[in-house]
Amino acid sequence: MNTGDTAFMMLATVLVMFMTPGLGLFYGGLVRAKNVLSTILQSFCCLGLVSLVWVFYGYSMAFGPDVAGFVGNLDWVFLKGVGIAPGPYSDTIPDLVFCAFQLMFAIITPALITGAYAERIKFTSYMLFTVLWVTFVYFPICHWVWGGGWLGSLGALDFAGGTVIHINSACAALAAALVIGKRRGYGREPIHPHNLPMTVLGGAILWVGWFGFNAGSALAADGIAALALFNTQVATGAALLAWMVAEWMKQGKPTTLGAVSGAVAGLVAITPAAGFVGPVPAIIIGLVAGVVCYLAVLLKGKLGYDDALDVVGIHGVGGVWGALATGLFASTAWNSGGADGLFYGNFHQFVIQAIGVGASIGYSFVVSFVILKVVDILLGLRVSEEEEVQGLDITQHSEIGYTN
Amino acid sequence: MGSISAGDTAFIIVSAALVLMMTPALGLFYGGMVREKNVLSTIMQSFIMIALISFQWVYIGYSISFGPDLGGVIGDLSWFGLKGIGAEPSDTYATTIPHLLFVMYQCMFAVITPALITGAFAERIKFGPFLVFGLLWAVLVYNPVCHWIWGGGWLSKLGVMDFAGGLVVHLTSGIAALVAAILIGPRRGFGRRSFMPHNLPMTLLGTGLLWFGWFGFNAGSALAADGVAVGAFTATHLAAMAGMAAWSLVEKFHRGDATTLGAASGAIAGLATVTPAAGFITPSAAIVIGLVAGAVCYFAVSLKSRLGYDDSLDVVGIHGVGGLVGSLSIGIFASKAVNPAGADGLLYGNPSLLLTQAIGVAAVLLYAGTASFIILKVVDAIFGLRVSDEDEVQGLDLSQHSEKAYNFQ
Repeated sequence: MNTGDTAFMMLATVLVMFMTPGLGLFYGGLVRAKNVLSTILQSFCCLGLVSLVWVFYGYSMAFGPDVAGFVGNLDWVFLKGVGIAPGPYSDTIPDLVFCAFQLMFAIITPALITGAYAERIKFTSYMLFTVLWVTFVYFPICHWVWGGGWLGSLGALDFAGGTVIHINSACAALAAALVIGKRRGYGREPIHPHNLPMTVLGGAILWVGWFGFNAGSALAADGIAALALFNTQVATGAALLAWMVAEWMKQGKPTTLGAVSGAVAGLVAITPAAGFVGPVPAIIIGLVAGVVCYLAVLLKGKLGYDDALDVVGIHGVGGVWGALATGLFASTAWNSGGADGLFYGNFHQFVIQAIGVGASIGYSFVVSFVILKVVDILLGLRVSEEEEVQGLDITQHSEIGYTN
Repeated sequence: MGSISAGDTAFIIVSAALVLMMTPALGLFYGGMVREKNVLSTIMQSFIMIALISFQWVYIGYSISFGPDLGGVIGDLSWFGLKGIGAEPSDTYATTIPHLLFVMYQCMFAVITPALITGAFAERIKFGPFLVFGLLWAVLVYNPVCHWIWGGGWLSKLGVMDFAGGLVVHLTSGIAALVAAILIGPRRGFGRRSFMPHNLPMTLLGTGLLWFGWFGFNAGSALAADGVAVGAFTATHLAAMAGMAAWSLVEKFHRGDATTLGAASGAIAGLATVTPAAGFITPSAAIVIGLVAGAVCYFAVSLKSRLGYDDSLDVVGIHGVGGLVGSLSIGIFASKAVNPAGADGLLYGNPSLLLTQAIGVAAVLLYAGTASFIILKVVDAIFGLRVSDEDEVQGLDLSQHSEKAYNFQ
């Protein structure tokens, strides 16, 4: 046990916990005033739901003893045997700290999906979907990559969750946007964000929290953590500028929403690569992410699905780019525990990354689609038209966000 | 070459994250004080610095600030693009944490300093020229002054002390703000109409986040999780609370009511003022500094309307005056008993430190003021700094960014 590492990982856990309400504010500012509370709650509620599931069986399924490379077994149900001594995943911090740190990742991932079906889902259906989704999608994929499963054994690199979190949640978001359908009036009447300063606040909280997310994924206060922190900052700055400049050139004005979206795109893209690449590749990853995600979000209008808050364009496209870029730029000169990528003479790593991307896209999309259909049959996913017009705050929660 | 300490590295990683948060927090602090039509542009002027200056820092900023010294004036370009800097600790700076981490921690300071200036020209500057100004100012003002004091330059050789940025951060931005407010001129209607802050809870939220982040700013400047860091942490909190108390009291007696905005401003005044001294002084000295800061900055802000310049969000009165008072206060209160690596001030029998600090203050005021003036004039001549009357009336959110902050219907 090391007090420096333990102090670091507890604070990193706090930072990642903070990201989920931060995400709620980020999304909340983007919806209409009548749906702000329901949108914030869909993130906030994950803190409760997923924490319970994690203790019951989630941690065991994700990180417990391996069953055929696919999922962990149920030996650690109710955290049996998980205590304050260091566990199998880190020698220098208590097992419970590792468990809590990973819990925060499991919480934010289903919260990310909520941006796709914002402003039109029934609250009970959202709760059932979330529990089923973490059980059948998040825990297995987390196990594949980090819990000793087949992708990890294959050598797929995912420093802090490009595959496990971003690609995964974005595929579920795409499935959700398709299954649940468009918001009333989408494409015919303008739907404006109701409170952009709230979105900037959320974006800033996400950025700060992301240092815990990425640097903390080193699981120790060491040089790799410093590298991840550094890359997180410069990739995000680069993506912010790239998105803003692309928008400026294409649409005439640089917007605040564009700047915040660019920052999140950069954060997403650097996530899988943060501890494996050098600073200059990190900047390249950020610049490309800013431009590509901007174009992806623009494209949405043409493809016709209503991914309300751009989970697919930012987390999906950014996550795929980041996971592949890890296969291009990873270098053992920076992290001897990683691997060399294509640009360092190892084409094989790029192939492995592509396999990881393909597997998570296929699995997450198909299983999410099935879960959504099942929930739709059992409870109905979508609120009535009347409720949608009135807003989810008053119809689902009997509350309003603002009184004037 | 030192070896990495996990405790120190943990502490500075978290401190860097805390200092990063201060820049968007500043955006909210300022954003709540402007009119509704300018809130996004005001937040954006802080937020965008995170990207712009991080870029500048990686390529040249760090090298000319902290790189090998050229005549005490500036660092050279041998660390251009962070060449040779990796996860190993540096020989010179913060020898127990990865060098990259020191680079990143200092980056956050470089980011927030130009963002502080934006309060002076809020609600009336063009976005593109503003970006050019920010970039030039970082290269020509922040980086050199940072080198003079923290990068082994001439002021540090003279013995000028600045724990966490009273000179480097607050005085440079404060004097630049004064020059900018005078050059750009008052907002339309300034002095004839009153400009009410549109969202004070947002300003309070920003203040809370700044205060929280400032612990990373000041305590983190010890660059190790040690006794000096704890001393700075304590001094930071005590000065902030004393600044808030003093401002509120003075306002109550001077104007009849203690306002929320006053409490927030007082806390920021205390924080800015204690910044240079935080790691060199005792807790009671921190309280005295905070009390003085609250009162002096209050009167400095009140004076503004008589002097006639429109420093819209009081950067000069709070950061400029606070940075100045704080930097001089080291000359009085610094104590080697608190920090053996520091020096003794007037109260501990060494009057010469006050003189040294005064030289530091004068040099920074003169240089940063002149250079800011030239940069602003050049940018104005090439691009024009100020938006048209029509754009100003419409608001910067729409005219510069095609956005509207709130849609409550």
